This record gives sequence, C-alpha cells and structure tokens, in this order.
Amino acid sequence: MSNNALVKNDYKQSLPKGKQSLQSLASNKESKIVVKDYKYGFFKPETSVFKTPKGLSSKTVEAISHFKGEKKWMRDLRFKALGIFQEKVMPTWGADLSNINFDEIYYYLSPTEKKVKTWEEVPADIKDTYDKIGIPEAEKKFLAGVGAQYDSEVVYHNLKKQWEDKGVIFLDTDTALKKYPEVFKQYFGTVIPAGDNKFAALNSAVWSGGSFVYVPKGVQVDIPLQAYFRINAANMGQFERTLIIAEEGSFVHYIEGCTAPVYSTDSLHSAVVEIIVKKGARVRYTTIQNWSNNVYNLVTKRAFVEEEGVMEWVDGNLGSKVTMKYPSIYLMGKGAKGEVLSLAFAGKGQYQDAGGKVFHLAPFTTSTITSKSVSVYGGRTSYRGMVRVNRGAKGSKSFVRCDALILDEKSRTDTYPTNDINEEDVTIGHEASVSKIGEEQLFYLMSRGLDEAKAASLIVNGFIEPIIKQIPLEYAVELNRLIELSMEGSVG
Amino acid sequence: MEDISLKQNQQLLIPLLWIGDKEEISINVKLIGNNSKLTILGLLVGKNDDTLQLRINVTHKGKDTKSEVILKGVLKDRTKVNFEGLVKIENGAKQTNAWLGSNFLLLSDQAKGRAVPSLEILENDIKAGHAATVGKVNEIEMFYLMSRGLSETQSKELIVEGFLQSLMNRFPDKEKMAALRLLGNASTRYTRSANIS
Repeated sequence: MSNNALVKNDYKQSLPKGKQSLQSLASNKESKIVVKDYKYGFFKPETSVFKTPKGLSSKTVEAISHFKGEKKWMRDLRFKALGIFQEKVMPTWGADLSNINFDEIYYYLSPTEKKVKTWEEVPADIKDTYDKIGIPEAEKKFLAGVGAQYDSEVVYHNLKKQWEDKGVIFLDTDTALKKYPEVFKQYFGTVIPAGDNKFAALNSAVWSGGSFVYVPKGVQVDIPLQAYFRINAANMGQFERTLIIAEEGSFVHYIEGCTAPVYSTDSLHSAVVEIIVKKGARVRYTTIQNWSNNVYNLVTKRAFVEEEGVMEWVDGNLGSKVTMKYPSIYLMGKGAKGEVLSLAFAGKGQYQDAGGKVFHLAPFTTSTITSKSVSVYGGRTSYRGMVRVNRGAKGSKSFVRCDALILDEKSRTDTYPTNDINEEDVTIGHEASVSKIGEEQLFYLMSRGLDEAKAASLIVNGFIEPIIKQIPLEYAVELNRLIELSMEGSVG
Repeated sequence: MEDISLKQNQQLLIPLLWIGDKEEISINVKLIGNNSKLTILGLLVGKNDDTLQLRINVTHKGKDTKSEVILKGVLKDRTKVNFEGLVKIENGAKQTNAWLGSNFLLLSDQAKGRAVPSLEILENDIKAGHAATVGKVNEIEMFYLMSRGLSETQSKELIVEGFLQSLMNRFPDKEKMAALRLLGNASTRYTRSANIS
C-alpha cells in the first residue's frame, strides 16, 4: 500500500551517532535483526518546559496537580491514589517486575507550552517525530480525528468538523476535565477505581494526557479516531488516562499506536482506559503496541457494557520489554456482547503476558476471546484470561480460543485460563493449542519454490490472519511486514 | 498429595473417581523417563453441598512422553468443584504430546464449577492442547430424546449417563466395576442401565 504512512521513513537517517552503537550491542545475528527492524527507535533532544524531579512522592503529585491547575476533588483523588499505590504490593504472578525502580523514573514531563490544533503550530522537533511516524499524512487520508501525546502531554488534538458538528467530543483528557467537569466527574474512575490494582493506583496518582471521547446518542462515527503515544525522554513514565463514553445506539472506533526510542535504561508505560458502552452502542478499541524493547507496559483497560451494547478490543502487542495487559469487559445489561482479539509477538528478551477477561453479569450475554501468539528467539508469550459467569446470567455463552506458535527451542509459551461458572444455563467453551510450524506445511511450500524463511513467515502470517483481518488495512500491512522481518533466519 | 515419577517406557493409568468423599485431591506426576506415558481419567459426581479442590500437575521432562488428562464432572445441587490443572513441558522434552481436557455439566443453578487448565511450554518440538467446557445438558439432544417419547427427567438421565460412561469405559475392569458400584450407591439414577454394558 503506497500510502502506508507507517513505513515511509527510514529511521537510520535520524538515528544519532551514539545510538547506533546499540545495534552493535546485540551479540548475535538474530538479535541484530530485531533491533534493526525497530524503525521508531530514533530520539529527539529533550526540550521540556516543566519536569518533576526523579522519583515519586506527595511532592511529585502536588507538583503535577498544581502545574495543571486542577480543582480540589482531582487533587484529593490523586493523593488518595498515591496512598493506595504505596500500600499495595507488587503483583506476585506474571512477569518479573523487580527491576522497575520507581525512584529512577520521571513521572511528569511537559514538552511544550500549549496544545495546538494544526500541525504547523507543533514545535519542529516534535512535528518531525510525528512526520517520521507518518501521522499528519494518515490523518488526511483515513482518520476522523487525531490526538498525539509526547511524553506526559498531548501536543496536538484535532477532530474533523463534520463530527464536531454532530456533538462528538474528542479531546485530550486534561482539557476535557477543564471543559466538561460534570461529565468527567460522573464517569472518571467509576470503571477502574484507583484501588483496582497497584498500577491503576499509580496511574490515578500521576495521570496526564490520554483521550476523552464522547459520542452522543445515535451518532455513528464511521471512520476511526486515532491517538498516538510517544515516549521521547529516557527513564520516562507515561501515564495516560483515556475515557470513552458511547451514548445509546452510537458507534466509535478508536485506535491507539505506541512507539518509543531505544534507550539502555527502562521506561514505564502505565495507562488506564475506561469505556462506557450505553444501551445498543458499539465501541471498538484497537491497540497497536510497538514500544521499543526497554519499555515496561503495564496497562489496565476495562469496559462496562449496558443492554444490547457491544464492546470489541483488538489488542496487538508486538513491542515492549514486558507487557501485562488483559483488556476486560463487564457485560452488565441483558444481551450485551463482548469480543477480545489478542495478538502477541515476543522476540528476544520480550515477555508478552496478555489476554482478556469477560464477566457475564446479565442474562443472554455473549462473549468470545481469540488469542494468537508467536514466540521466537527466546521470547515468552502467555495467555492469561478469565471468563466468569455470575448466577442469574442465564442463557449466556462464551467461547475462548487461544493458539500459540513456538518457533524455536529457546522460546516459551503459556496458557493460564480461568473459567469460573456459577450458573447452570450457560454454554462455556475453551480451547487451546500449541504447536511449531508444521513440517508438512513447510515442505509443501518449499517444494513450490519458496525458501525456508519465506515459507515460515507465510505460515505465521496465515496463523495470525484471523486477527490481522480485524485490524485496519494500513496497520495490517505493517504488521505482516514486521513479522516477516523479525522471522528472518529464525528457522533452519 | 500423590507424587509420582515415571521411568523410561513406564506407562501409568490413574482412574479417578470422586463422589463427594473427599474435599481435596492432589496429583503430581513427572514424566522423567523417555517414552513414558500417563493417562488420568477423572469422573466427578457431586451432590448436596459437596465441594472439591482438585489439583493436577503434570511435568514432562523426558523425550517422546505422552500425557492425557480427561475429567468429566456432573455437578448437582450446590456442588462446588475447583479444578486447577497445569501441564508443564520442560526444555528438551522433545516430541511430547500432551492433552488436558475438562468437561463439567451443571445440573443445578446453584452448582459452581471453576476450571483453570494451564499450560507452560518451554520446548517447541511438541504438541499440546487443552479444552474446557462448562454448561448444561445440550438442548438439541434433549429435544431429540423427548421427541422420541422420553420424559424430561429420563432424557436428562440418559444424556448424563452417556456423558459419564464414555469415560468410564476406558477404566480398567476392576476400577470400572468399583466405579459402577460406587456411582450406583451415590446416585442410582446415573448408572441405571450402565450394568447392562
């Protein structure tokens, strides 16, 4: 696809000299490929207008809230959340998070003075970053609105006029808090309270940026809204907060993409995404997570779905060092429907702990979870999922399917599904399979003249096809290409 | 807690029958020797306030090893079953073939079934799968039987019986007779015609 905005620029041109040595750090041929193929690894000099000192304390929280000029209720909420964060212990399951040093992280960094609505006004360095990633181009071609977050603040936000006229609100979360305090107060933290888990508490204490989407009753936003998240500074923590409210009978598709420079020290991304799907509404939320391999990605995402509403999570995890993320759906009204499509790709040094959760809380609710994962070069993928049916959720149905491909001896894959059923009148199924690339399949393709690497990537692409199909075309092309490159030399 | 290690070429079949007699069962098997084989067949029938905490761990260490765990449960009244299974395939356990399956039938809206069939796989030259279902008696099957003149209760009994029997048939003779006897005592209804076979 010629207008594929994401593949246009070669990162090498912009890669500072010092950073090139990162490639040579890679000790063997395989890892070189993986690092080299991360085309968003460039970085820009840090030009902050405001930055809190390293580490987390009540002073940090005070500084953020003060800088943003927040009202008392939000300040109080932040402080309460900080207390919860300090009390809660780290998760005892999943990935090893002991290397995260909360004292070495910068919790807030504002890159510019103001948010703007045209690309021309964006500061040159930041604009150049998004040009390289291809965002302005993409906006013109196939998006209804775009938001771009750089470190802690959203620097650009725009919604096409036709949607604005229909009453759709698409703003960065901080602006929305100022402009629509009532709506905000009514919903903020209701889907994911600060006490939900340690990282939700952390986010609630130091949150900044993210998107606020409000779709009025009956409005169908039929082309996607997109937010683009970029971490630029080293040792940075990004804590965006997204809130989406879809009123009765409305529809919106929200896409988020994430990238970061390759640094030798770790960064932390810990977002909270809350979604409210009202009666008969439908929300689709697509994530293409392609953080560099030094980012801890620990995200809480949850949707409440009312009667006859539909929630769809399309969750693609390709980047990051460690991801722990399980988008969840609470089916609260009769006939509500939920779907999670999860795709994980783990290469060298990566651990993707992904999956999904669905809670059936009302009669005749249905859900499906489909997970496909590929591990290679010693990478580890885990599917961690939960289907719970409460007593009284009669006639509910759920099906979970998770498949894993494991491409070499060094890699690992796990499945941790929980089915918790408390109602008789239900149909619940779970299926999982783990395999390597079939030798007959390889043999067939090679007998047709493909070399081994090509044949293998063709098989992998076929394997993930059910998910790829659900991803917007320009991303699907990029994903296929990415997987092809990462796979080179993985067999034989 | 049963801790078992399988040597080279050793084959083991564990027939498991639970009729509410215990609250906890834990089985731990390691397939250490090459070409060893493990089969665990579990029949679980609970009634009244029976509860069961069932833990099955299978670890594959040797090459060419095979494991199969199949559970069939019928949960009546306020029965609560919590099954936590883990099949682990260690690096080097090439040509392993593992299957972990659990099917629970809930016969009352107060019965609760929880199944966590986990897999941890550190080797690529393997085949592994699992499947878990929880649900009620199939409506289409019920409809068919009732259209043939059986009452609702009879139809249900027949289906549940078939459900259990398919697994019981794989029990060794001695255990099969014991199972029939015990299930007969526990709930005559579900084994009424089983004696014929």
